[in-house]
Amino acid sequence: LVLLPAAVPTFNNSLGPGTPERSFQGFPDTAPAYLTLNTTLLNYPCPKPPGDITVLRVGSETSCATDDTRPTCNGPLRAPGPYRVKFLALQGSVPVAETAWSKPIDLRTAQSPSSIGAAGSQHGAGMIALTTILAILFAILLAAAVAMLLLEGDACGGGSSAFSKPEAVTVQRYNTHHVYDQPAARL
Amino acid sequence: MAKSDDGVHILQGLLVFGNVIIGMCGIALTAECIFFVSDPHGLYPLLEATENDDIYAAAWIGIFVGFALFALSILGIIGVIKSSRTLLLVYIILMLITYAFEMASCITAATHRDFLTPNLFLKQMLERYQKSETDNNNDKWMSEGVTKTWDKLMLQNQCCGVQGPSDWQEYTSAFRVTHNDADFPWPRNCCVLDARGSPVNLDGCKLGVPGYYNSNGCYDAISGPLNTHAWGVAWFGFAILCWTFCVLLGTMFYWSRIGY
Repeated sequence: LVLLPAAVPTFNNSLGPGTPERSFQGFPDTAPAYLTLNTTLLNYPCPKPPGDITVLRVGSETSCATDDTRPTCNGPLRAPGPYRVKFLALQGSVPVAETAWSKPIDLRTAQSPSSIGAAGSQHGAGMIALTTILAILFAILLAAAVAMLLLEGDACGGGSSAFSKPEAVTVQRYNTHHVYDQPAARL
Repeated sequence: MAKSDDGVHILQGLLVFGNVIIGMCGIALTAECIFFVSDPHGLYPLLEATENDDIYAAAWIGIFVGFALFALSILGIIGVIKSSRTLLLVYIILMLITYAFEMASCITAATHRDFLTPNLFLKQMLERYQKSETDNNNDKWMSEGVTKTWDKLMLQNQCCGVQGPSDWQEYTSAFRVTHNDADFPWPRNCCVLDARGSPVNLDGCKLGVPGYYNSNGCYDAISGPLNTHAWGVAWFGFAILCWTFCVLLGTMFYWSRIGY
């Protein structure tokens, strides 16, 4: 039994399922409440058979939502609510047992995906460290390359190469390795 | 002099060793980047649809840089052993160019990894999964790619949505336009499926009863491979560049000290 909270005070239990005042298709415009999921006692055995799920879902049947020949259709609710529900046991059309009214239940309203802020691009520390170190290393390399090429002009004339023989006199061995100064080797 | 003789040989030995390591790392980099470009997890359509697939560009550059490093390391070894100034000069110049490219690849991979947040994939999934009214061919093709990838992801990893099935309930989506909430609170692939591909218990799945639907999100299955990809390219490249830096400095020093 599903109804809008405003109709709780004036609710009359004795109207049976399947009547126009209690049809799903009329809810909530012409019928303040509707009865659905009507079944017999046999469908609720105790103890519960294993493997059965003891949950009832309001709004499962989409095919009969506009079918007036099925007033007890368990169709989807159209508005977001709130709604209140209860269980009602009838013998014929006489109510014999019922539960209390549930608290008002609000249905979920979905937001549009454009409300998701996708621009959360915080640059991580790792990336900053990597970029900085690589940039510094590359700068050092370029500076060293430039220095190497510029100083090359001096090295031939003035500066003494670490691997050159300082005196022309001593020739330990006739070394064709051209790392050493040519004049020294030619002796 | 014996001492400077030794000095030469030690430096030469070090440079040859350094170049051997560079060569091997170059091959490893090429192999690693080929592996990433081949996209074993099938996540490329998701990146394509974000129009931000630069981590793939970084991997492509890595392939060529790796090969260049290998070739240049051989040149370097020959140049050091022969002590040829011209060969070593060519080596230094080409290495600097390769260094610059590899630097670009590492920085690109590291930077663009930071764009790939859960919200990005969530928005893309909601806007493109099973999108039926596409604007143009490009849109249609991207949406189909996203749909196929998500279907496969949910099936293989037993997951649903980016952070969970509630993503489909909290937001409206292109999927919701064609599939009403009562019949499809979330896509069918979120249900636990049997061997034939149909849900084990459809009502249980629709209700969200534990055991009949996948309650965990797919973000880990997406970000795991993408992280490996981006960090693999970025940090391995960084390690190679640090080593290459040392070898290059040594080569420049060696070059400046040898005569003709």
